[in-house]
Amino acid sequence: MEAPIYYSKSEFIETDTGNKVSRRATIAGPQNIILGGKTIIATGAIIRGDLRRTGPGHAVVISLGRYCLVGEGCVMRPPYKTYRGNFNYYPMKIGDHVHVGANSVVEAATIGNHVEIGKNCVIGKFTIIKDCAKIGDNTIIPPNTVIPALSFFAGSPGRYVEDLPESTMEVVEARTKSYYRRFMPFEGR
Amino acid sequence: MVEVSGYYCPNCLFEVPSASVRAEKNRCARNCFLCPNCRNTLSVVPSDPPETADMRLSAIPINAVGEAPFFLYCNHCRWDSAEVGITFEKPTGLAAQLQRFEDSAPEFLEFERLKEHFEPFLRASSSSPALSTVHSHHIHMNPITAAASSALARDVPGVGKYTPLSRSRVGRERSTGKDDISEYKSRVEIGSVSGLGAAGEPDVEFVKHLENMEEVAELEQRWMNSWANSTQASDLKPLRIPLLSKKTKRCPSCRHILIKPEQKAQSVRYKIKLVAANYLPDITVALPKVPGSESARRASNLKSSVTATEPDKGPDGMIAGQTYPFHLAFTNPLYDLIQVRLSVQRQQTPADRRPPFAVSLPTSTFPVAAFAEAWEYEDDEDMFGVEDEEMDDMDVRGGRNPEAKSKTKTVGVLEKRANVTVIGGEVVISKEATGDVKFNMLVSYTYRSDDPVGEENEGTPSRSAGKPEMKTFSFSTVVDLGPVIPREETRTEFDI
Repeated sequence: MEAPIYYSKSEFIETDTGNKVSRRATIAGPQNIILGGKTIIATGAIIRGDLRRTGPGHAVVISLGRYCLVGEGCVMRPPYKTYRGNFNYYPMKIGDHVHVGANSVVEAATIGNHVEIGKNCVIGKFTIIKDCAKIGDNTIIPPNTVIPALSFFAGSPGRYVEDLPESTMEVVEARTKSYYRRFMPFEGR
Repeated sequence: MVEVSGYYCPNCLFEVPSASVRAEKNRCARNCFLCPNCRNTLSVVPSDPPETADMRLSAIPINAVGEAPFFLYCNHCRWDSAEVGITFEKPTGLAAQLQRFEDSAPEFLEFERLKEHFEPFLRASSSSPALSTVHSHHIHMNPITAAASSALARDVPGVGKYTPLSRSRVGRERSTGKDDISEYKSRVEIGSVSGLGAAGEPDVEFVKHLENMEEVAELEQRWMNSWANSTQASDLKPLRIPLLSKKTKRCPSCRHILIKPEQKAQSVRYKIKLVAANYLPDITVALPKVPGSESARRASNLKSSVTATEPDKGPDGMIAGQTYPFHLAFTNPLYDLIQVRLSVQRQQTPADRRPPFAVSLPTSTFPVAAFAEAWEYEDDEDMFGVEDEEMDDMDVRGGRNPEAKSKTKTVGVLEKRANVTVIGGEVVISKEATGDVKFNMLVSYTYRSDDPVGEENEGTPSRSAGKPEMKTFSFSTVVDLGPVIPREETRTEFDI
């Protein structure tokens, strides 16, 4: 029923909690990145955990929830700004069941649960995306935008298009879980 | 049946009390503005800080509040409100500050006077018996919706509404009510105020000296304003953000509430949520063993629109003139075993042409086991996969076509596990077929209900079965198997 999505076994590292991370992804500053479990980091993705807040102590830069997908060639980079004359990076928090399509650049401050981001999107700095929102392919979200829950945004600049159905949460959850189940190693290579 | 249960601003996410929505003209009255140029949200920025020559901003501790005057700035197209001469002394309560300018505009005053002028007449007509009977169907609405809809449905004197109900009424009113209004004298003569639309000469001057298309405001950019505004892009004003609403939905036939959101604007929880996905079997379509077609598609539910079509775009497609097997997986969300029967609707094609494809599916009913919560927690395949012998057993019980059984398992029940049954079908594509392979399928399912009282909120009841405790429902859905690759194209592919 569910056609598997094969990957070559040698390319991905699977962690104890079921995260699958491509060896061909660039993970900078891994000690500052949290993956919730069963999250897939695809080939060519770049996650900048090294861009941390200045100051002493341990800092979480990027945290992803469960059943997330960072698509091929995505860039996840924490947002930055100059506040009171000090340049600083700010942490990025992403909830559960979030899929980011291929080649998107994400600099959001917060992404809620059950969010879908399409392919080739640019999510500007300090964007706040609420639960169950959806962003269409090729959308540009300018910095500081707020995307309310259960809304569909598309275009350049990204604008509100319509409300999503009330069952979005269940549909997205089922889809992200099935994606993880279908994502299986291909032993041949 | 949709009713509004609350309003909120999509930018600051403030929940606007319904009492003030009308006074604020359905727009956010705080600090949220849309760029008149690109409709992005604007941000408030202070005036440029005194820069040192070497641009070392980090060296100077800038006051967090910034310096007055403040203006609105678009992060996307770099429009700023200082361009059109709008600046603010303080960075908060911008809408109130802007409101003062707006309120003193001649158009606004004119409109206020118009409203004032017609107010007594409107009050008289809305209390008249003719109107109250028309509005009787609003009786179930909550006060918010009622206020909104009565405002919309209110008759403008002399302007007929395009509803068959009101047509006769307008005529009657014209004869009785219209005479009561005294003649309205406008405060401002049209055309006397420059820039008020009717001014022709400045427009000609403007167009004559036009150097750049962007100097002219597009229709879309002017759409939200009053009818009399300037065509020059430099005159565009920031727009207050329109509010969004949360909605309560009712069944149109029995008025039972199906969707009732929580009060909190950004909560995705619902007090009441009855969606078809919880009652109808979920259907997943897959084309197996075809190279490159790994995408599973979801069939869209025509009646419920709950499971939307989302074809994962892939490099797949079917070649014309070939036969393909496909799988339909049925997932039962109910706590009872269901018997499903499928029927494919014939394609409507002109008599002189052959249909582009033919679909064969098992015609007999097949069972889909009941949903049990235990399956939710066992993620993996250890417990799935019923043994083959056992499956054949079940097939007999399901009353499967013996003819289909003799075939090599392309058409018929292929797999059963947990509350999922996979059905095989076959599609024969004719040689000259093009476009997408899409067909309509009527799904009927029957189950034995233990508690008939609690099942009142079902999806689309169509007919009841012979036995009183058996329930039958049916719905139509469109199955999309994906595009057909025309023959010529594929041949060249093979050559390479």
